[in-house]
Amino acid sequence: MADDTKPGIRILDRFGSIMDGIDETDPDTARFWLTMAFQIKRWQTRHLPDRGELPSGNIGARLALEGVTDALEDPDNAVITSIFLPNEIFHAMGLKPVMAEAISDFLTGARSEAGFVAAAEQRGVPETYCSFHKILIGAAETGVLVKPHLIANASVACDANNITFKWLAKSLGSEHVYVDVPYEQGDDSIRYVADQLRELAHVTEETFGRRLDLDVLKEYVTRSQATLDAMVRTLPLRHGRYLANDMGLEMQQALALFLMLGLPDAERMVHQMEEDYKSARRYDGLSLVWVHAAPYFSVPLQKVLDRTETAQIIASDMGFAQVSLDGWSYGPDHPFEAMAERLVRNSFNGPATRRIDRIRELAERTQADGVVVFCHWGCKETLGASQLMKRDLEAAGFPTLVLDGDGCNRANCPDGQVATRMGAFIEMLQAQRAEEAGA
Amino acid sequence: MSDETDATSTAERTTGGREVIYYPCKYVPAELLAGLGADVRPVTFEAGSFEEADRLAHPNLCGYGKSLLSFAMRPDVHAVVLTSCCDVIRRVYDVLADADVLDFLWMVDLPHKGGPAETKRFRRELARLSEAYAEHTGTPFDIGRAVAAFPEIPRRRDDRVSVVGAHAPASLLETTSAEMTLPLENVTCTGGRLVTAPPPELGRAPRDVDERAACDACEVGQDEAPTSLDTFLDWYAPVLLDQLPCMRMNDVSGRRSLLGAPGQKGVIYHTMKFCDYYGFEYAEAAKEADIPMLKVETDGTSQSAGQLRTRLKAFDETLRGVAGGHLPLRKGSDDGHTYVMGVDSGSTTTDAVIMDGRDRIVASVIVATGARATAGATKAVECVLEKAGLTEHDLALRVATGYGRDAIPDMDATITEITCHAAGAHFLAPDARTVIDIGGQDSKVIHLAEDGSVVNFVMNDKCAAGTGRFLEMMARTMEMPLDEFCRCGLDWKHEVRISNMCTVFAESEVVSLVADDTPIADIIHGLDMSVASKTAALAKRVHAEPAYLMTGGVANNDGVVAALGDVLGSPVATHEDSQLCGAIGAALLGLDSIEGR
Repeated sequence: MADDTKPGIRILDRFGSIMDGIDETDPDTARFWLTMAFQIKRWQTRHLPDRGELPSGNIGARLALEGVTDALEDPDNAVITSIFLPNEIFHAMGLKPVMAEAISDFLTGARSEAGFVAAAEQRGVPETYCSFHKILIGAAETGVLVKPHLIANASVACDANNITFKWLAKSLGSEHVYVDVPYEQGDDSIRYVADQLRELAHVTEETFGRRLDLDVLKEYVTRSQATLDAMVRTLPLRHGRYLANDMGLEMQQALALFLMLGLPDAERMVHQMEEDYKSARRYDGLSLVWVHAAPYFSVPLQKVLDRTETAQIIASDMGFAQVSLDGWSYGPDHPFEAMAERLVRNSFNGPATRRIDRIRELAERTQADGVVVFCHWGCKETLGASQLMKRDLEAAGFPTLVLDGDGCNRANCPDGQVATRMGAFIEMLQAQRAEEAGA
Repeated sequence: MSDETDATSTAERTTGGREVIYYPCKYVPAELLAGLGADVRPVTFEAGSFEEADRLAHPNLCGYGKSLLSFAMRPDVHAVVLTSCCDVIRRVYDVLADADVLDFLWMVDLPHKGGPAETKRFRRELARLSEAYAEHTGTPFDIGRAVAAFPEIPRRRDDRVSVVGAHAPASLLETTSAEMTLPLENVTCTGGRLVTAPPPELGRAPRDVDERAACDACEVGQDEAPTSLDTFLDWYAPVLLDQLPCMRMNDVSGRRSLLGAPGQKGVIYHTMKFCDYYGFEYAEAAKEADIPMLKVETDGTSQSAGQLRTRLKAFDETLRGVAGGHLPLRKGSDDGHTYVMGVDSGSTTTDAVIMDGRDRIVASVIVATGARATAGATKAVECVLEKAGLTEHDLALRVATGYGRDAIPDMDATITEITCHAAGAHFLAPDARTVIDIGGQDSKVIHLAEDGSVVNFVMNDKCAAGTGRFLEMMARTMEMPLDEFCRCGLDWKHEVRISNMCTVFAESEVVSLVADDTPIADIIHGLDMSVASKTAALAKRVHAEPAYLMTGGVANNDGVVAALGDVLGSPVATHEDSQLCGAIGAALLGLDSIEGR
């Protein structure tokens, strides 16, 4: 079994092992220990920031943790959402949106995923189902996840979104809103999604007995676009710089961008990234673009990627799925259309070529050495496109590793296989670099 | 000979000058395409190998998607129309678009909802397809051809068994049809295309040529005049979208009508590995539906036919309510007694039992099956007759069960081991309501009624996980004799979790634990617990209840028996004759079939 060594992981680990085995029979105790573990971790991120991380990294870690724990501790004001569903509507009404993937990621951080996976599978969830969704269903079915008043999701980015949230809403008795995102990228699609977001706002108002102030919503959307535009500006700044990141942080920063987009904190984090990267020290290791979720618990990958001089993740496609590289058609004056545009034009929506183009842009703008396409268990969207990605990215000059594993279930991420493949890929990139230097 | 199964194995480019378009999804507008001159056919191809699809995409995609990919790459396939129905089909489209091997490839964006806005979108999608296809062939839309293409909708009320769930591969339908007494109905993801027939007036809509002539004459409102295509799409788009929904649609409440329909006597629920949708519906249906249901999971290929046949046959036996009706009796013994022999041909041992007319065991034997089921069975029959002091002529009936049942010579009847195990377990432990049978090759859980008949049953799927073979392989990995391995697991001190049930991955976990000096007893207990958890998950699927009786070779593994008791929260009993359970059941069912008893 992997032996995670980072202090933050150890804190959650300790409590994860305490709750292991009691989740089925005593959900209240399990929830108590989990909350306790997250509170300690949250205290740590606020008061004992990791000195090895850049300031923007510490902000990202704190925001991701607070985004999840604040919602879990206040279920009356929480909304469970899918990744990519715009959250500004909820923020503008003082609610606390939390993504399914974020909850599962944190339960994995507490080493409790095996029990929730088993609980879900025993209730008939297919073993080939995405582990992020399986863990969430397991948490709900065992009573560890408390019923939120509202569950809202979009069809992007995968089939699991069409199933999990509907299942959860029925099982927990929550109100459910589903936003269907067309495959096509045109203006018709944006207007169609915008109408559904208006309906989402209306249902949210009714469910929580609150009113959405359009002017406040516009403020949030203004900040969202500014934040994402600033993210794009960080890309060239990353080249040749030590980002002091690890796989966990990479995921936390992406989560913070999803959970908190529109809030001043998220904008502050990205502006801090700009500042940090400008003054970061030179980095001579390999820089990799990471595709899909990163299995931050994998020790063989930690040894290669987590704050080492060997290699670092320079950008992940999840962190840049929502940005626009060529401006926005709708500004904050049309807040619903602006949010809809972000959803429709998300690089995970539409044909695989869109996502491949986005990954190539990231690799080019950061001058990455290579790309890792991480085939997360059950993610057919990524799996099915993995060979197209490899061929097109290599044709563009970026050596690409297709790596099978699981972003949140240790059982599907065998250390030996991951270590060999990643090790060989790194050796190959190092040899190529040496050859180029010698030429 | 090719092992590809296929109603479309001889793909055609054209028929009678019409281009052949293949499609997988019931939401593809087949009648519209027919109106545009195409010959439209569903894809039923079942690839013999997924090598090409694995290379072009990834092994962990559903088998139907991979078969579709292989089919569309064939040189004799020229036109394919898909919908954006699921992750796999969308990626199949991407790979095909990239390969650029088809003359016409199109994907219709299918909404997840069915309201007015979605219908409008869908109509627009259909119009886009019409335009593109008309441009491709140069053939204008003919509403008469479109209307003529609507199939007659059979509204079935006859006694039948329905196959529900994910796309059913041709091999599954063939095997199922062969094993079921009742006729079969395919209402799976790809089989249940039921588009309402058009009203008569739609076929009488003016043809476009007439319209143009009329408009030329009046020269007014030329742009506004609806074409026959417009008229057709106005009617067709909502009707096509309003079919009985597949599981990817947001509102699936209409699917309730699939279960318990008039005439439906049983449901075979099919799920496919790496298809997310239908496992969820099955989980709900198993809880709520009041109809006999059998779950079958395949990977989209013709899987282990023996195991599938056993399950299907057992389900058929359950539906018929009798094991095999009255069997033709042999002359039997001259001493006034009735003797019936049951033979259970398993993967490891062949068991034979002779019982008399008062349900007493006269003799029993257990022999190794060996390399050939026939030889093992012949030996078992000889031995049990010798032990009973009888000859073949003294037997009134011989009933075979187990995997090798069809290979045993001179048998009067064959009954599946599910039905036989249920009868045998009820004989050995009349209070038992659940039989857990873990053998060398498979594991099964049978939920019994008070009278010992089968209420429900489930078997593991095409995988060594959770079977005796899994434990044997782990014992080999740890270089321990099996009997020592079975005992040692009881002496555990600390909980060790084996997180992976896949035999290959579990082996590497065990190797790591051994390397970490984890006590052997703890590792074995971890393995016992993993088998117990897997079995408990099966038990949950059939609403298993105490008292539990465990049979099969693994019943001799005290560690697994104890672990199962822990996981199920109730003691699990074994019986000294539990290994003979199937053979005893076969003999008893034979005796039951004798008239006048």
